[in-house]
Amino acid sequence: MYKYHDNDVKFIDQRQHQFKKQVTRYFDNKLSDDQFRSIRLRNGLYQELHAYMLRVLIPYGTLNSKQLNQLGLIADKYDRGYGHFTTRQNIQFNWIDLSQINSIIADLAKVDMHAIQSSGKTVRNISADPLSGIRKDEIADARPYCELIRQWFTLHPEFSWLPGKFKIAINGSKNDEIGIQFNDLGLQLVLNDKHELGFSVYAGGGLGAAPMLGPKIKTFVSEIDILSYIESVLRVYNLYGKRDNDKRLRIKFLVKRLGLGKFQDLVEKDWLSSRDDEEIKLNISKLNKIKQDFIAPIKPITSNNIEQRVDFYYTIWKSNNVSDNKINGYSIVSVSLTQIGSTPGNIDSDQLRHLSYLASKYSLNEVRTTKNQDVVLPYVRNEDLYELWQQLEMFDLSSPHNSTFAHIVSCPGADYCSLAKAVSIPVSQRIQNRFIENGLLFEIGELNLHISGCENSCAHHHVADIGLLGLKKGKEDYYQITLGGRTKNDTKLGKKLGRAIASVDVVDAVEKIVNVYVNNKQQDERFNQLLNRIGIKLFKEAVYA
Amino acid sequence: MLNSKDKTYKLLHIEQWILEKEGNSIKNKGILVRQTDDVEILFETLKQAPLVAFDFNSFDDGRSYSQVKLLRKRLGYHGEIRALNVHIDHLQFIFRSGIDSYELLPEYKKYNEDYAIDFSVCYQAAENNSGLIEQHKLG
Repeated sequence: MYKYHDNDVKFIDQRQHQFKKQVTRYFDNKLSDDQFRSIRLRNGLYQELHAYMLRVLIPYGTLNSKQLNQLGLIADKYDRGYGHFTTRQNIQFNWIDLSQINSIIADLAKVDMHAIQSSGKTVRNISADPLSGIRKDEIADARPYCELIRQWFTLHPEFSWLPGKFKIAINGSKNDEIGIQFNDLGLQLVLNDKHELGFSVYAGGGLGAAPMLGPKIKTFVSEIDILSYIESVLRVYNLYGKRDNDKRLRIKFLVKRLGLGKFQDLVEKDWLSSRDDEEIKLNISKLNKIKQDFIAPIKPITSNNIEQRVDFYYTIWKSNNVSDNKINGYSIVSVSLTQIGSTPGNIDSDQLRHLSYLASKYSLNEVRTTKNQDVVLPYVRNEDLYELWQQLEMFDLSSPHNSTFAHIVSCPGADYCSLAKAVSIPVSQRIQNRFIENGLLFEIGELNLHISGCENSCAHHHVADIGLLGLKKGKEDYYQITLGGRTKNDTKLGKKLGRAIASVDVVDAVEKIVNVYVNNKQQDERFNQLLNRIGIKLFKEAVYA
Repeated sequence: MLNSKDKTYKLLHIEQWILEKEGNSIKNKGILVRQTDDVEILFETLKQAPLVAFDFNSFDDGRSYSQVKLLRKRLGYHGEIRALNVHIDHLQFIFRSGIDSYELLPEYKKYNEDYAIDFSVCYQAAENNSGLIEQHKLG
């Protein structure tokens, strides 16, 4: 993991000090609501339905056990005993009192954590493949680049007041594991013909009310030029992005308005005049130092004598939640936070502390958070798997649903969020319960469902096999269903099935859709493959008949 | 009207400046750039201005930072750049953006400037980085 230096610690401390003075000015009526809103959002603080919400930054989803433990303390001390992992790998606390914000930020700083730029119209947390550095088929580890780019755009003098939020994702794996085409800027690590490392760049993607896949704007930018290239994209966005229409703020609307060719020309022109500036070249010696931080201090182990366990539940869990680390003898364990009946992504303080203990005992003090709102223990010795599973069982963390249909991704929805139109969590619980009752869960195979409570699409429903989008008709919650969304290498947005379905009927509709899939699929055919083969008609007939 | 380096300037919008320049009456006059102005198109014109000013009254609008950057870096403007109507929460960015001088909005008069200079560390190269510990050095 990246190790904080004195200057990083000092920086967080100074930002904390500055924010404290800003909060005081707000309490003294010296800062207007609008100005304070703008400032607090840049520090991760939202005003929600019932309380303030703090979004704490987890850079590219990497946490150490000390930090997990401290998050448990914060959940108890300032929230109602739990936190919520988000689809962009951060953690949110939903019951924050503004008068306590400075103490929370001070408690976070004790473990090198903060909420700087986890929100607001600025460069947000940079997301990365949660299995960066441990996959077998990786082109390069994205994390050192994430860290350098994160640092570069933290309180950047030119790009801290953008038209809208700006989300960057970096993928180092051969498959797109992080959704680079639905971020404002997506960077894919690639090798060119000369075997030099660089990035393919995608811009103008985003979900929300007008979902768009970001087109590729540049085939190859060498690693040393990546900061100047991102700066040029941001400069064009900063100068030309619309600021007067709240629904058209993101860069995707600029790319659409200008047209891809014109947008590329503007970026290219700016870049050609700035890329040779020595000051904006990526600092390779710093990069190499950071790379050292990310190398796991372990060697391959050949353990032939692992006792095979015969335990029904352990076996199911192992086949769904465990995969191989690229280092021989080690496994990657996915801890699903979608325990049936609980809120997707939610974790209570006891679980946070227990995971902290497990990370220190079994996984080199490290965990990762994922865009599916799970936690990953990246370095578990194969011989420890059974013991670890038993330990997870004790705290309800051994849900074997990692790649099953019960693994629903959901935003907080109207129960918590002031933007949401409909509830998300109760629907996800009803769906999970239905599929336990009907006994289908382990027969369905890999199939995913995401629920967003409004068109802001925090649960990324457009790219799920089955996506539900919450709407309001009168006082009733309704759900618009989309089918066949995909990520990985052929990112695709789901198709609308038909008119929105009332909340009371939505679980039946989902069950009918799953039945069409189960009854028609051939062997291991995936949902989107079936949909391509047979079309949407059968699904429509089943749901609307 | 502004006082700068013991001189008094009258600020003109770009179109007016061009008109007056043609009539050779630009003595003691500077330019006030609007956020929607294309500074690049006006390159030749801007170059001869002794002072270019930007209005930072709009709290959330960061376009001027990129306009200043273009003026300094791409167009090589060496005259004075001044920020007007500055909010104190913007000072930390103003200081490092290539702007030479600024005027705070009247409501901030009683605030000590050190309010805005809490940072001794920064992570990126910028126009005015002096005094900051983590200078950007090429490896």
